[in-house]
Amino acid sequence: MRTLLLCAAALGLAACDAGTDGDAGAAPDDRTTIAVIPKGTSHEFWKSVHAGAMKAAADLGVGIIWKGPVQENDRVGQVKEVENFISRGVDGICLAPLDADALRKPAEEAVARSIPVVVFDSALNSEKHVSFVATDNRKGGALAGEHLASLLGGKGKVILLRYMQGSASTMNREDGFMDAIGKHPGIQVVSSDQYAGATAPEALAVSENLLTAFKSADGGLSVDGIFCPNESSAVGMLGALRGAGLAGKVKFVGFDISDKLQDALTVGHLHGTVLQDPVGMGYQAVKAMADHLAGKPVEKRIDTGATLVTPENMKDKAVERLLNPEKVE
Amino acid sequence: MTAGGRPWAAWLNRLGPLFALILVLLLFAVLVRVVLGENRFATPGNIETILRQTIIVGMAALGMTLIIVSGGIDLSAGSVVALAGVVLAALMKFAGWGPLSAALAGVAAGAACGLVNGLLVTQLRVVPFIITLGTLLVFRGTALGIADNRTITPGASWLDHLTTHPTGDRAWMLIPPGVWILLFFSLLVAGFMKLTVTGRHTFAVGANEKAARLSGVPIAWVRVIVYTLGGVFAGLAGVLQYTRLSQGDPTGATGMELQVIAAVVIGGGSLSGGEGSVLGTLVGALIMSSIANGCSILGIESWVQMIVTGVVIIVAVAVDRLRHRRTE
Repeated sequence: MRTLLLCAAALGLAACDAGTDGDAGAAPDDRTTIAVIPKGTSHEFWKSVHAGAMKAAADLGVGIIWKGPVQENDRVGQVKEVENFISRGVDGICLAPLDADALRKPAEEAVARSIPVVVFDSALNSEKHVSFVATDNRKGGALAGEHLASLLGGKGKVILLRYMQGSASTMNREDGFMDAIGKHPGIQVVSSDQYAGATAPEALAVSENLLTAFKSADGGLSVDGIFCPNESSAVGMLGALRGAGLAGKVKFVGFDISDKLQDALTVGHLHGTVLQDPVGMGYQAVKAMADHLAGKPVEKRIDTGATLVTPENMKDKAVERLLNPEKVE
Repeated sequence: MTAGGRPWAAWLNRLGPLFALILVLLLFAVLVRVVLGENRFATPGNIETILRQTIIVGMAALGMTLIIVSGGIDLSAGSVVALAGVVLAALMKFAGWGPLSAALAGVAAGAACGLVNGLLVTQLRVVPFIITLGTLLVFRGTALGIADNRTITPGASWLDHLTTHPTGDRAWMLIPPGVWILLFFSLLVAGFMKLTVTGRHTFAVGANEKAARLSGVPIAWVRVIVYTLGGVFAGLAGVLQYTRLSQGDPTGATGMELQVIAAVVIGGGSLSGGEGSVLGTLVGALIMSSIANGCSILGIESWVQMIVTGVVIIVAVAVDRLRHRRTE
């Protein structure tokens, strides 16, 4: 029994230590405390959201607790985070739901216990939250479509390689793209029924098969433009174009960014991509909650903006801030 | 059983994990009080949260207790949890089944998985670690195939309320119905282990297989029963997992078997068989969820939680061994 006690005491000390030096440490009580729950904590994107949330906290004089599941598929883990914040008691919760349905119950329970919820990044199938703060993906897709149309001078054949069935954000981008292209009667969509799948290797295989179908006898391509609605599908398509020696010969527009895509923009293999603003999203989410708690009116839907990046405007200050956003390491 | 002539020592052994749980709860109650400046841990609402976060692992651990007592192991438990949830969701969404019949079918799918494990272990005479390592992949693959790699969301039903705080005309339940369901099945399994012939045979097979065979225990039969029951409880855990998310998730519960095994082991179950109890297992599961909840409330990061839980598993088992050596 004595051994057990000693061990427990040691454990307690260790826990105390960790509690005070982590940046996720508890905020002092007299301040407004807002829990910010991302989809995961390991992706670069969330580190930038974190930076924005911290900036808003500093500007507005509120405390935030940043805590989420480590993996982006741990729905039960995220449900538990919400529940723990409900029983711990915070003034508000900003949540980026991993799933539009699975997180509905815990979010609505928070509201029922009078903890307001702001949803950010991805939609939640609920009407009870204060505001939804996210990129207007339809607008972003339309931006990509307009850009591709102007690159082609309003005529030609294009491919839309879709991302995945059931993914709301990319489906909106695809719809926005189709709307924009539909306004140009000279442009014909020759393929829009292929899905890239969840990962870049899958996307590469699908892209290779797709390009094979449109190869002409002389080794060229009978297609003039391509759009991919997210990072992994764009990376896969880029690999397929490079493998076939077609990179740069066909106008190619993507969505989101990575080192690989940034490099492709520089060398002219990618002719544009649409950027979201993760820092702005984190900032706006915390600000919406702080405003709501202070009794100010908050918009039901806050668009955090989408920006088109091209090889020409890459060096602009405003674009550079989005290409290399601040991060919390 | 190990203490022989000293019944109080046996009781102390049995209650060891319970003391550890009380220690963990006290520790976090004090820490949260000190760090946050007010009591936010030992509140009725938070105790309910801890219970709610225990029921899935706890349910699967009931079956795992039987398997471990019989000297076996089941690494496929997490996959079975996911498969049962997917079967339930698919039948509700695509075949138009009612919630109750779909839930029963989910449990039946779990039972079928357990039966397969039991038959393979007894007929192929390959150690259960390897058999269930294989079926871990088989059952996970089946779940992903049925769900077409996606989550299945059938829409609202009364199943969703099994793991939420009871309100309105269900307020008399006080805590989520899922907790009562777990308690009910716990009593059932404890009764099975103590009062039935097969239950006592389970201990005999795990403690000394040779002696059990010589005294006429139908070993293969006991094993098949035990693995099938393990599947039933993993299936029930799958139903509870479904009610937590209102969806069947084929990638859910990945690695849950390790938490389930840890619950049994922290609660005094021995991987060499012949030892383990329902009370110990439930306490083991509670210890783990209390640590996770307490760390979360204190704002301790996930990686620290993992390390703390890992240390607790090792310390719990080491202390258990130490006590055994003293009493033997």
